[in-house]
Amino acid sequence: MTKKIKLKISSRLVKKKMRRTTNVQKTCRFCTDAEYKQGLDYKNATFLRSFLTERGKILHSRISGNCAKHQRCLAHSIKKARMVALVPFAAQYN
Amino acid sequence: MVRYEGLLLAYPQIAQTDIENLEAAINKIIHEKEGSVLSFERWGKYRLAYPVSKNEYGVYFLVRFDIPEKTSALTDLKMLFETKLNTIILRNLFTRLSFDQPLAYQRPKSLEETPARESEGFSREDRRRDRDRGVDRERDFDVEEKDVMPVEEHIVA
Repeated sequence: MTKKIKLKISSRLVKKKMRRTTNVQKTCRFCTDAEYKQGLDYKNATFLRSFLTERGKILHSRISGNCAKHQRCLAHSIKKARMVALVPFAAQYN
Repeated sequence: MVRYEGLLLAYPQIAQTDIENLEAAINKIIHEKEGSVLSFERWGKYRLAYPVSKNEYGVYFLVRFDIPEKTSALTDLKMLFETKLNTIILRNLFTRLSFDQPLAYQRPKSLEETPARESEGFSREDRRRDRDRGVDRERDFDVEEKDVMPVEEHIVA
């Protein structure tokens, strides 16, 4: 009599596969939305702050989904805004 | 002609006469070089992202002007802010604008425009801001003795 062998897949692997399949392709919002692109300016500090971490670092394009061109524009405007104290260089230690 | 835009950060305690002098000084330099000032706007008072020369607050001004090419107007302006007017101006930033670019822009709301913070706010950020200002919130929540109604004790036999 042959013994039936049941293949076991660990739940961790299943979850990992699920994560990979549910990953939605991100598109650059600046490329698609013209109105959104108008907000990209060094004077618009409230908008730029949405692309900063709590510590004041610039968000990676992998996270924000920006294309290389607009990520560069964004980084330039954030750096300009930092010079005139509209946006922090780093979080303040209290 | 070349179009420029300058953002100036001034001391928070800037007087009205200083603002007039500043505008006059900018106008004078640009008119000397046969340029024209498009706008001079006062943004208002802002809380800075980090202290600049030990100043927590600052006042922003936005200047836009056209000047002919190959003139020293821009360097003259920068020199003016960093030498003669350095008692008024903390930082200056000049950027070039293209002529087809729209002049409308968005800016953060100044402290004068934002309504006063509600006293109910008790988030982490509020508490941190209070600590910076030296406000003790705990004191407000202390109940005075006269407000407390005396409670009768009923002894159940």
